[in-house]
Amino acid sequence: MAGQQADGGRPSGWRRAVDGAAAEWFGLAVRLGLALVWGWAGLAKVSDPAEAAQAVRAYEILPESLVKPVGWGLPFLELALALLLVLGLGTRIVAIVSGVLLLVFIAGISSAWARGISIDCGCFGGGGAVDESQTEYLQEILRDSGFLLLSAWLVYRPRTKLSVDAWLAA
Amino acid sequence: MSEKNREGKRNARDKMQEARAAEEAKARRNKKLAVGGVVVAVIAAAVVVGVVVQNQRSKPETPTAAPAGTIGDKNLVIPVGAADAPSTLTVYEDPRCPACGSFERSFSPTIDQLEDAGKVYVNYHIVSFIDRSLGGNGSKYGANALGCAQDAGHFRDYHDVMYRNQPEETEDSFGSKQTLIDLAKQVPGLDTPQFQGCVNGGTFSGWVSAVQQDFDKSSYKSTPTVLLNGEPIYPKKGDEQISPENLVKWVDAANQGKQLGTPGSHGQSPAPSSTAGESNNPPSP
Repeated sequence: MAGQQADGGRPSGWRRAVDGAAAEWFGLAVRLGLALVWGWAGLAKVSDPAEAAQAVRAYEILPESLVKPVGWGLPFLELALALLLVLGLGTRIVAIVSGVLLLVFIAGISSAWARGISIDCGCFGGGGAVDESQTEYLQEILRDSGFLLLSAWLVYRPRTKLSVDAWLAA
Repeated sequence: MSEKNREGKRNARDKMQEARAAEEAKARRNKKLAVGGVVVAVIAAAVVVGVVVQNQRSKPETPTAAPAGTIGDKNLVIPVGAADAPSTLTVYEDPRCPACGSFERSFSPTIDQLEDAGKVYVNYHIVSFIDRSLGGNGSKYGANALGCAQDAGHFRDYHDVMYRNQPEETEDSFGSKQTLIDLAKQVPGLDTPQFQGCVNGGTFSGWVSAVQQDFDKSSYKSTPTVLLNGEPIYPKKGDEQISPENLVKWVDAANQGKQLGTPGSHGQSPAPSSTAGESNNPPSP
């Protein structure tokens, strides 16, 4: 690439790795991995609307009037993200939405932790108040941070193998 | 060809290329916009459909059928004892909650005696949220069976039998309707075809859900939550630990100078004469 050659003619291994076919296969794996996370999270929360609402209520952040719409809509948002990621349609936009959602979740969990509320994050079903000894805020935040890294990769490199995006671009 | 002519041709070619490049860029932009539009539409549609579907699927907060004799706003509360007793004990319990089991095994004989003496009017909120964290149906089915027992006028006895036969928290034996029916055999007169139909058919499942949603919105977060005249007394009242003796003392203190209630018959058998806690073994039939 012209840019690389200009700064001394060093072959940029990083550049090649990020642009090469291998990176696109890696991107596919990241995409499907994130799709699995969102699909699993969505399905786990669909079965019981009252439970989903309570998981949201337990954070004590949203007013009661928003608890149900959020609790009911969130799993379907997650399922929509999973579907779009499986298809590989609009990967960069979907990855941005994923990242924003994960940041919101991390902020929510941190806020509950900071305020000393004892809850289960309700990330994959369940949720609501738990005994103080059963909170797992750090694990939950680390887990979501891992998912955030997957999203970040797809924002950076949205081109992946076997995607509708690639098909449309051809 | 003159220099001028050649130059003119190159200009024309350049212009054409520029135009083509601009067109391609425009097409790419349009494609991007279209993809973005589809993504946003899919997400928005999913959320709207989700909210509508879940709204229709969720059980109402006002039950269509409540067990006979239930009281309070929306009939969510099961009362035991004399309505005119001077003190009210409010108890929130989940059939699967181990702390509720240990509370009941230590306190139910005492509470039964206080009820029979007209000293307390007990209001039970039968909540059912343990299923959410552990999976299974034991909380919901157990709560429905308690509703069925209330409907048949045997709440107190069935409730006591149930907690004396409570499984480990992680073991969902109340998730088996047959287990719940088998336990009813220990309460004389309860195991009828009507009761079995009520347990098997989940007659009060809407009521169970309404009671739980009411608990969700309350400020109470765990079970058992026990209130004496609105004041929390479990596990402590002020600095004092709850015990059968202290409970009797607190009730007597609250009732001082007041007329005791007249317990009506709820089809309940009288309390055992001892205030000692009972063992976890099922009574012989």
